[in-house]
Amino acid sequence: MTPPAQTETGQRVPEPDRRLPDLSLREAAGTGARHGRSLIRRSWVVLAVVGTLASLIAAGVGQDRTVNAGGLPLVGDFFAAALRPRLDADFLALTANATLTTLGYAVLGTALSLVLGLVGGVLASQTWWRSATRRRRGIRMAGWGMTRTALVVPRGIHEVVWGLFFLSVIGIEPIVAVLAIGIPFGAVTAKVFSEILDETPQRPYTALLAAGSGRGAAMLYGLLPPALPDMLSYSFYRFECAIRSAAILGLLGVGGLGYELSLSFQALLYQEIWTLLYALILLCGAADLWSSAVRARRMAPRRPGSRTSRVVIGSLLAAIALLPISAWIVQLDLSVLGEAGTRELTVQMLGDSWPPDLPSGGWTELLQLAAGTLAMSVLAIALAFLGAVVLAFPAARMSRAGGSPAGRAARLLMIAATRGLLLVLRAIPPPVWALLFLFVLFPGILPGALALGVYTLGVLGRLMAESAENLDDRPLQALRAQGAAALQVFCYGVVPAATPRFVAYGLYRWEVTIRETVVVGVVGAGGLGLLLDQQLATFDYGGAVATLLVFLGLTLLVDLTSAAVRRSLHT
Amino acid sequence: MPEPALFQLQGAGVRFGSIRALTELDLDVGWGERVAVIGPSGAGKSSLIALLNGTLAPTDGQVRVLGRDIAAASGRERRGVQRRLGTIHQQFHLVEQLRAVHNVNAGHLGSWSTARAVLSLLAPRDVGRARQALERVGIGDKLYEHTGNLSGGEQQRVAIARVLVQRPAAVLADEPIASLDPARGREIMDLLHEISRETGTTLLASLHDVDIALERFERVVGLREGRIAFDAAPAALDPAEIEALYALERGAP
Repeated sequence: MTPPAQTETGQRVPEPDRRLPDLSLREAAGTGARHGRSLIRRSWVVLAVVGTLASLIAAGVGQDRTVNAGGLPLVGDFFAAALRPRLDADFLALTANATLTTLGYAVLGTALSLVLGLVGGVLASQTWWRSATRRRRGIRMAGWGMTRTALVVPRGIHEVVWGLFFLSVIGIEPIVAVLAIGIPFGAVTAKVFSEILDETPQRPYTALLAAGSGRGAAMLYGLLPPALPDMLSYSFYRFECAIRSAAILGLLGVGGLGYELSLSFQALLYQEIWTLLYALILLCGAADLWSSAVRARRMAPRRPGSRTSRVVIGSLLAAIALLPISAWIVQLDLSVLGEAGTRELTVQMLGDSWPPDLPSGGWTELLQLAAGTLAMSVLAIALAFLGAVVLAFPAARMSRAGGSPAGRAARLLMIAATRGLLLVLRAIPPPVWALLFLFVLFPGILPGALALGVYTLGVLGRLMAESAENLDDRPLQALRAQGAAALQVFCYGVVPAATPRFVAYGLYRWEVTIRETVVVGVVGAGGLGLLLDQQLATFDYGGAVATLLVFLGLTLLVDLTSAAVRRSLHT
Repeated sequence: MPEPALFQLQGAGVRFGSIRALTELDLDVGWGERVAVIGPSGAGKSSLIALLNGTLAPTDGQVRVLGRDIAAASGRERRGVQRRLGTIHQQFHLVEQLRAVHNVNAGHLGSWSTARAVLSLLAPRDVGRARQALERVGIGDKLYEHTGNLSGGEQQRVAIARVLVQRPAAVLADEPIASLDPARGREIMDLLHEISRETGTTLLASLHDVDIALERFERVVGLREGRIAFDAAPAALDPAEIEALYALERGAP
């Protein structure tokens, strides 16, 4: 779940001197391996096409029982209301309140995840274990392996599932949203932080250790300062994600924009829905802008002697100030955690949940639903990938020589329009998209896939546009200098350079999408998520655990496939 | 009517904001000439090449290539001129993700239709000429290799093969050997010369290495602080003149 921005290492400049030594290795690899790899890559492409077609069939596309034509007027009404959102003072006040609540959940959830991430990140880093157990390699590997494994489960369970769990033991309390965001985000953050720490040059740290300083102090002085900028930029990225999660968690009833949206949806009050959606789009847009402003400052080359940017410092201060304000806005009450009732319910629930229990349909039902969930994720990512490829280039600010002022203005307009579209697509959370699609489609895989696909298209389109903007411009210049037309430069220069990155982003989002099938399941779109929601609602905890285990297996399968495809990308 | 000079610079200058990269250059380069441009880093060698191949528009004066004022030309006209100029860069500027054959075939882009160019990416066209060109530069066996997997010297050879396929009237080389080791650099330089001699192509190369410039070229242009310091045959050059070119400051001993 690392954001690709973290794994991208910028432009690769060929350095002949450094390339010479590994030349022999490359030659030794020979042509046989080369053809083998290209064959593997081709097989992946075939598999992707076949998988998508199979998923289309599984989703029942082309069959009678998919489209509910009766719902079409509702969709018309819905979009007609976009121009007439409810704007009276009462409702605006309610919207503002809900927006602040969602923001508050996001801030507090991120804060919790950062605390967990820092502690977990140190404990899950090889660096820490290496210096802790200098000579006993076995203990080191076991300790490191165990912490890493311990992070897998909280990371693999989606915020919404955590939310449903805490709801049943704590009840409707603000702390539910904070924990539901903080725990899974904390586990992801811990993994990313540990990787950042391990990638940071180790010499200053080992030098301090050699000089006799304690491990904590050595880390604080030798390891954290160089790692901090990366960790900071990742934290802001997490905050951006937390806002979307907070909105979705609202749908479970803990309040905020998601909660108000679900109420307005139930009453089919489209004008209210649009007011709330506009608020959500604004909030997400603002968070995107803030986060990318901070991260852009981070990425910019630092001149020696220059001080930390004012944007970064101001953002840090603002983030710290937001903490108590958020706690006050959402009326955070920590005491519920210590209550006897909470403890009893937790114990009882844990007792009920073991041994796991199959649903009424047995393994057949579970595996069928798993296959459907997989198909949902495949369709969603196929739609998102194709759409994002189409929209990424018009959305990218790519330097291009010349052009008349009118042409430049037209290009700017196109960039703004595509970026706006992508923002809207990703600001509306998948469950809301799913509710919309359920107007015209019968519950099942298809509405879920469309909802996830449209949302992921918004996310992926932005990632791809940014990556297209960062392409090395020099080969493109060289093509232009010998008289190639714009479209030819695009085909020979832009597409081949962008393809591996685009595919990598698509795979990364596929891993996210399979986890998010839960989110659309909760509103009734189908798959394992729907079953899980029903099981939790009927207190069938044993069944829920079985479903969850199958779901974890499914995410693992997707992760492994994605990793295998990514490996074949590296030539 | 006598043919116009290939490159004609009249009082040409380039400014980036307040910084003058090139100032009042007057330079004529004829058909088939082999010219070396030398000068310290920052003297404006790369800007001069970019000015000649139409990547950079002059802010002052005029640049005529093949008799045409390319700053004033329409996009189509400019591309028509550019198609007849091949450029080789220090950092090769190839698309590393493509196979060598496509990078070589990119030399056709100025003359191919877009449809043909796209189809060729799916199934390479004109493989025969691409293979010939790669064989000419000594790496015929790398036709289907991914360009990023080739060594620096091999990548520069792919870039030269691209120019061969393009069959330009002039080859512009911007520090073509600065990223290579001396032996590899000498081979590349030999290759550029042979090609220029065989086909009668004009060669204009900016170079770090003064010895190679004096040894191999009939005409050497010295650039300093964006101005032409001298423009003469190697035999007519005074060693002191060359030393002055690289002296730290104007007028310093």
